[in-house]
Amino acid sequence: MKSKTTLPVSYRLAVTSRALAAVFGGYLIASLAAVCMALWLPTSRADAVVTGMMSSFVFYLLAVLWCFACRTAWRAWFGVMLPTAAFATLAGVGLWMART
Amino acid sequence: MKEGFRQAMAWLHTWVGLIFGWLLFAIFLTGTLAYFKDEITHWMQPEVQAHPLDDARSLAVAQAYLQQHAPDAARWFITLPNSRDPGLSVMWQDKLDPGKRGNFVQKVVDPVSGEAVLARDSKGGEFFYRFHFQLQMPHPWGRWLSTLAAMVMFVALITGIVTHKKIFKDFFTFRPRKGQRSWLDGHNAVGVLVLPFHLMITYSSLVIFMSMVMPAPIMASYGADTRAFFSEMFPATDNAPALGQPAPLQSLVPMYTQARAQWAGGQVGRLAVNNPGDVNASVNIFRAGSDRVAQDFGSMVSFNGATGELLRVGGGQSLPALIGGTFYGLHMGHFATPVLRWLYFICGLAGTAMIGTGLVMWLGKRQLKHARTGVMPYELRLVETLNIASMSGLLIAIGAFFWANRLLPASFAERSDWEVQAFFIAWGLSLLHAALRRGRWGWIEQLSCAALLLGAVPLLNAITTEQHLGVSLARGDWAMAGFDLTCLGSGVFLAWAAWKMRCRMAPQPTAERALGLNLTREAR
Amino acid sequence: MLLALLLCYAGFTALCLSTDRHHGELLRSKPSPQRRLGWRASGWLLLLGSIWPAVAVAGWSQGLVEWCAVLMLSALLLVLLLPYLPRLALSLAGAGLLASPVAAFVTL
Repeated sequence: MKSKTTLPVSYRLAVTSRALAAVFGGYLIASLAAVCMALWLPTSRADAVVTGMMSSFVFYLLAVLWCFACRTAWRAWFGVMLPTAAFATLAGVGLWMART
Repeated sequence: MKEGFRQAMAWLHTWVGLIFGWLLFAIFLTGTLAYFKDEITHWMQPEVQAHPLDDARSLAVAQAYLQQHAPDAARWFITLPNSRDPGLSVMWQDKLDPGKRGNFVQKVVDPVSGEAVLARDSKGGEFFYRFHFQLQMPHPWGRWLSTLAAMVMFVALITGIVTHKKIFKDFFTFRPRKGQRSWLDGHNAVGVLVLPFHLMITYSSLVIFMSMVMPAPIMASYGADTRAFFSEMFPATDNAPALGQPAPLQSLVPMYTQARAQWAGGQVGRLAVNNPGDVNASVNIFRAGSDRVAQDFGSMVSFNGATGELLRVGGGQSLPALIGGTFYGLHMGHFATPVLRWLYFICGLAGTAMIGTGLVMWLGKRQLKHARTGVMPYELRLVETLNIASMSGLLIAIGAFFWANRLLPASFAERSDWEVQAFFIAWGLSLLHAALRRGRWGWIEQLSCAALLLGAVPLLNAITTEQHLGVSLARGDWAMAGFDLTCLGSGVFLAWAAWKMRCRMAPQPTAERALGLNLTREAR
Repeated sequence: MLLALLLCYAGFTALCLSTDRHHGELLRSKPSPQRRLGWRASGWLLLLGSIWPAVAVAGWSQGLVEWCAVLMLSALLLVLLLPYLPRLALSLAGAGLLASPVAAFVTL
C-alpha cells in the first residue's frame, strides 16, 4: 500500500487514528473487561482476578482486529468506545455493590 | 482499507509483522536458545564438574558450607544439582536490610569436596534467557516491551491465519526454487504446521506477565493492597519472624526426605531457610518444576528449622490457577525430557524461521517493483539493512558471545559483563556493515562470518579447554558434546546458505531469482 | 514417543495422499472418490490413534504435550521431505507403519 509513492495525508491520519484506537482503546477494553470479570465471576476473589487477567488479552485482540477491519477510522473509535462504556458501567455497578 | 475483512487483516499482518519483526526475531531466537540454558551454562563454565547425583550428600555439603560462611544471614537458598545443571548453588541474603531485594551473595559449591567452585565469571545461558524478556533494558521497560511484542505476535498470528486461511486445506505444499512463491510456501508451512506451538508460546508469554501488564483487576478487587492478592495466590510463604534466641538448626536431610514422601517421591527443586540459627528458623522446601507440566508455585512443605517439626504442606490449585500454571509450565518447558526439549528447540527455530521468512518476503515483494530501474528507495534500503543486521547479525553476535567466553582470561575484571559487551559490539558492527554493504553481499559476508564463528566453536573449545569433543563424547558428557556439535552443525548450515546465495547470485541477476533463493537456510 | 511419531507421520502421509495434487505427484494417478475418502479416514484415524501410545507411556498431561510436539514435527518433516525426496517420504511412512508393532512391543 505504501508503494503508491505518495499517500494522501488524510489516509495517513486515518491509519494513525486507527492505530491509536487499537493500542489505547484496546487496552482500555481489555482492562475493563478483566475488571468486570474480577468483580462479577462467582468464584473466589483471587480466582476471578486470575481469570479476568488471563482472558483480557482476547478482548484486546478483538478490539485491535475491529479497529483495522471496520470501514472508517470514526467507526473504529465508535466500536471501541461502545464496549468500553458498557464494561465501565458494569464495573462501576460491581464496585458500588462491593462497597455497600 | 475498504477491501473487506481479509484484505484488512492482510494489511495489518504485513505492517505489524514488519515493525515488530526484527525484535520478535531476536526474542524468538534467544528464547529458543534459552531452552538449553543449563547446557549452555555448562559449556561456558567448564570448571563446574558433574558428579553422580546424590541429594542427601549435596544437601549436607550445602548446609555445612552455609553454616561456616553465612551463619548470621537472614535467609539461605539452596538449589540442588540436577541432571541438567551439575552445580550446587547456594545463595544467602545478609541481615542488613531484609525485605529489600538485593544484597544476595551466590556461590557454586562442589557437591563432593564442599569447596566453592572457582569457575570463570560468566552469565552463561542465563544471558539469553534474560535477554529474551528483558532485552537488556532497565527493570520494567524491557519486560513491557517484550510483552507488547508478544501481543503484536498474537495479533500477527491471528491475522495471519485469516489471511492465509486457504493453507489449511492443503498445508503439504512446499515448492522450493520458485522464488517468491517458495518463501510464501515456507512461511505458511512453518506457520501452520507449528501453529499450536506459536499460539501456546505467545499467549503464555502474555499470561506470565499478566499481573504486570494488566493490573486493573487486581486493583479493582483488592484496592491498594495488591500484596494481599499475591499472598492469596501463593499462600505458603508466611513465615514466623526471628525471635533473637539462638538455637542450632536441625539437619536438612530428614526434612528433605519427609517432603519427598509428601509428594509421593516428587523431586525437590529449591530450599529456603529463614533465620537459620534462630528458635524460629523455618525451612521451606519447594517442589521442582520439572515434576509436572503445570507449574505450582505453592507446592512446598514447611518445617520448623530448630525442632524439625512439619508446619505446613502447601499446594493444590484452583482451576484458573491450574490453567495459568499450565501456560507457565508449557512456556518454560522445565518438565521436558531431552527428546522433548529438542522438539521444543526445533519448534522455536520454526517460529524464528517464520518471522525471518516474513521479513524477507516483505522486502522481496517490494524490491521486485524497483528491480528494473535498479534504484532502491530509501525505506527499502533501511528495511534491508535491518533485515540483515537483525538476522545474520544476531547470529554473529551469538558467536561472538561464545568466543568471548573462551578468549577472555579468567582473571579479567567484570568478565561476565564483557562477554555481554562482546555480544552487543558484534551486533553493532554487523549493523554498520549491513548499512555500508550493498544488498546481497551483506548477507553473504555476514552469513559466512557467522558460519566461521559458530563452526569453529568445537576447535576453539579444544584449544582453550581440556573438554574437547573426544573427551566429552568418551565421558558421555552430552551437554558439552551436544553444544559443540550443535554449533558445528549450525556453522555448516550457515556456510551452505552463504554458498547457495553466492551461486545464485553470479549468473542471473533477475530480481525474481535473486530474491527467491534461500528459504530454509535463512530460517536458522 | 516413537510409536506416536510413526503413527503421526503415517497419518499425515495418508492425509496428504487424499488430495488430488499430492496423490498425482506421489503415485502418478488420480484417486477415485472412494480411495480419497479411504485415505482421509485412515489418516484421521492414525492421527487420533497416536494419542493413545503417547498418553499410555507418559500420562495425560505430559503425554498430550509430547503428542502435540510429535504431531507438529512429523508434519514438518513430511512437508520438507516431499519436494526433495518424495519416494523416501512415502517409503518412510510405510516403513514406519511396519515398524510400529515393534515399537509398540518395545515401548508399551
